[in-house]
Amino acid sequence: MKTFKVLEIKESVFEDNNQRADLLRQELKEKKTFLLNLMSSPGSGKTTTVLRTIEALKDEMNIGILEADIDSDVDAQAVAQTGTKVIQLHTGGMCHLDAEMTRQGIEGLGIEDVDFVILENVGNLVCPAEFDTGACKNAMILSVPEGDDKPLKYPLMFSVVDVLLINKIDTIEYFDFDLEAVKERVMKLNPNIKIIPISAKTGEGLEEWANWIRNEVRKWGE
Amino acid sequence: MHELGIMFNVVRSVENFAKENGITVIDTLVLQIGELSPVIPRFVEACYPAAIDGTMLENTKLEIEVLPGNAICTSCDKVFNLIQCKNECPVCGSREWEVLGGREFLIKEIVAY
Ligand SMILES: Nc1nc2c(ncn2[C@@H]2O[C@H](COP(=O)(O)OP(=O)(O)O)[C@@H](O)[C@H]2O)c(=O)[nH]1
Ligand SMILES: [Mg+2]
Ligand SMILES: [Zn+2]
Repeated sequence: MKTFKVLEIKESVFEDNNQRADLLRQELKEKKTFLLNLMSSPGSGKTTTVLRTIEALKDEMNIGILEADIDSDVDAQAVAQTGTKVIQLHTGGMCHLDAEMTRQGIEGLGIEDVDFVILENVGNLVCPAEFDTGACKNAMILSVPEGDDKPLKYPLMFSVVDVLLINKIDTIEYFDFDLEAVKERVMKLNPNIKIIPISAKTGEGLEEWANWIRNEVRKWGE
Repeated sequence: MHELGIMFNVVRSVENFAKENGITVIDTLVLQIGELSPVIPRFVEACYPAAIDGTMLENTKLEIEVLPGNAICTSCDKVFNLIQCKNECPVCGSREWEVLGGREFLIKEIVAY
């Protein structure tokens, strides 16, 4: 006769991810590598912004890129063209990255002499906000054509990020996009957030963005 | 759908737990999922066969206990279910409340022999 026994585990799955994320951050701290998690809807300009950021900073720091945006390697190829180290993470249709997948990406990339890594997360404003990837700071892009009501529809995402880029600011005259209303809505959700309007096309605002990164990379490496 | 990736982690955790406790056969895995958690029980069930394929849990049954998403109204102290009441206090109509539970996603226990 079989004797069954019940073994209590009581383990929180999200807590488990949080612990892995903390471990990864610890490793990044020891190696003095600043990892930025970049999130947004599909098409709001993550890859374009990543390319612009590489251009602005590649002469002063060693950069690496983790691409998870889509399940093909178009974005990774665009990045590789710049001569920057890049890893395509095959997320197999997943809507977000967790700490373990990020750690594998970091391991694959190799960060011994890398100062700054951008993780281009899966295009999605819901799920990535729920999962700590182990990144040192979190950024998101909201692009003008998406509309100024997004902070009302996706409050969690706007609450968890350290910096918000408002991209495609060059198109603002074609859309009913109230920049001040967005700022107000976002500040209400997240009073400490830094908001930078940019255009990854014209380059507007990119210097302020580059300065934010320079400062964070320096602080992380101290 | 993010349940598959999450379930891979769950299976790995349970396998580790089983190894540490000298268990070789797991009859049932019991999960607790809060109504407000970003994990949907229906999707967990749907992807479970793929998540356990080729693992120690290959023949393990899945049981899900749903935990209610309850909140307490900050105006009148009424405790109510957020889903049923559509995020609004059924007594005073306030939309200001504190979540009491329902965000959790736990590996509760395993039945083994
Ligand atoms: N007008 C304008 N178009 C942009 C800007 N940034 C990106 N785009 C365009 O938006 C589209 C999607 O950009 P992409 O970087 O691939 O977005 P991702 O899906 O978030 O990585 C591309 O056609 C870009 O050329 C911008 O600042 N202004
Ligand atoms: Mg992209
Ligand atoms: Zn998800």
